[in-house]
Amino acid sequence: MIPSLQLTFVEEIALLALDDASGKRLPMPTLGFSYALAGAALCDLSHLGRIDTDPAALTVLSTAPTGDPILDEVLKVLAADRTPEPVGSWLGILAQRSAWLEAAADDRLVERGILRREESKVLWVFGVRRYPTVDNHERIEVRTRLRALILGDDLPDPRDATLLSLLCACQLAAVIFRGPESNARADRLASLAKLDLVGREVSRAIDALGKALLGASPMRL
Amino acid sequence: MEITASTQNDITVLALQGRLDGLASPQLEQRLDALVAAGTRKVVLDCAALNYVSSAGLRVFLGGAKKLKSAGGRAAFAALTPPVHEVFELSGFLEVLAVHPSAAAAAASLA
Repeated sequence: MIPSLQLTFVEEIALLALDDASGKRLPMPTLGFSYALAGAALCDLSHLGRIDTDPAALTVLSTAPTGDPILDEVLKVLAADRTPEPVGSWLGILAQRSAWLEAAADDRLVERGILRREESKVLWVFGVRRYPTVDNHERIEVRTRLRALILGDDLPDPRDATLLSLLCACQLAAVIFRGPESNARADRLASLAKLDLVGREVSRAIDALGKALLGASPMRL
Repeated sequence: MEITASTQNDITVLALQGRLDGLASPQLEQRLDALVAAGTRKVVLDCAALNYVSSAGLRVFLGGAKKLKSAGGRAAFAALTPPVHEVFELSGFLEVLAVHPSAAAAAASLA
């Protein structure tokens, strides 16, 4: 088991996207989750000082390994193309690797002792994987902190702003923070969600793919 | 990026010049951390000569304002140039941070 220090954004998104009781992914647009994972990887690299972004482009600042194999793999992909591309373009490229990002993040959460893996068969044929929670401390702590932020008027710290932005982009925030109190603070949540430029680009990228496409995208059930 | 500091009573004004990007932002973060650690509670970030801010720079602005608020202090931003104002607007920073047309107005808001 690896120590449960601060989770990466990729791990946080993978963890918060799981239903506590069933260990299955919460219902959300598949495409949104793919982009959120891709965005989470970019946010991790940005917070670690390996990349920087603005509304026009993503820039690699350093290719020094982060020590995290998932993030280092993503950094290699970014560094392989020195042409400045907008964040939205990179999200599209990385979202194609979201199955790998998701599996790697789930594996890491199992290694950290937060989740356990359960394999079963449906109709004796189809393999189903679930991730029941072993240690719910991290998930409860993050949800409590973010809920307080939404309901209050305090400034977020940059990590919380990034996480909220990613959760809003893939519509997980609406699932996690549902309820009359949170609904009454929809404007506040929308305002907080804009505070991270990469998270904002995740939302924009999903919107750009079109509501029609999102409507046709299968839901994770 | 160049940072020029001045003090008016209990208010510290940091005049920022140039680009606040991923390479320059650690410098500002360290400066703000040092001010908070030294007991400064009122800081004006004068952006009149700041012509660029990236996501890393925005993060330092937000983190600095948060640290000051957590310590019982306040940050006020002043004189945003058009490119910086545009990024503040896009990212919703205008809605959560105190932004003033001039350093004098920002300092007055903290007095």
